[in-house]
Amino acid sequence: MLVLTRRPGEGIVIGDNITVKIIEVKGGGIRIGIDAPRETKIYRQEVYDRIRQENIEATRWDMADLDILSDDLAGRTVKK
Amino acid sequence: MKKITTRFGEIEYDPANIIHFPEGLVGLEDLHDFIVMPNKKKGPLFWIQCVDHPEYAFVVTDPTNFFLDYALAPDEEERKKLGIGDEDEFYILSIVTVPPSKEITLNLAAPILFAPKSNRALQVILENSPYDVRTPLPRLEDNEEAAGSR
Repeated sequence: MLVLTRRPGEGIVIGDNITVKIIEVKGGGIRIGIDAPRETKIYRQEVYDRIRQENIEATRWDMADLDILSDDLAGRTVKK
Repeated sequence: MKKITTRFGEIEYDPANIIHFPEGLVGLEDLHDFIVMPNKKKGPLFWIQCVDHPEYAFVVTDPTNFFLDYALAPDEEERKKLGIGDEDEFYILSIVTVPPSKEITLNLAAPILFAPKSNRALQVILENSPYDVRTPLPRLEDNEEAAGSR
């Protein structure tokens, strides 16, 4: 991992079109500003990790589960 | 027709029915092409089978069946990725997790947007939303109450 020291107001440039700037260091937190193309997805790491973990978790099921659950939920469709 | 071998056995599908996830799923970015498998049983659950990595399959459901006020719409960027315009229809699906307790949860924090016109889909992350990645189904009484108070 590349490790750099930056001060508030300084930034780094990643590739051709992503800029990360240190806005402020306050109370143990660091506010950063990111300029990136709109189609670039940016997430807080813990949010991304949580979703990834849940996606992996969601692959663990078997057909017997689906059959039983379907019977349980058979009546639960809302008339729209 | 094409054939793949999955953990549920051999599955035959028509490539014309593939739903394409241009970005894959979150954390599983290699999973691009899925087919919708009809559930043999009645009810709100069905499953999608990954074609390019046949070991992956997900149970999915329409979350608005359970959460009446759950709503979202693709923004401009997402519509572009889905290959649809402002007027084109889309559906929301939630991935279902089946834990060992069998008390299923819906991932309302990262729904799938599906555009039937283009047969494309995206998993989007609702970062600043109140919804949880493991939302249990509302109890039936709650739902009736909610419906009654409308």
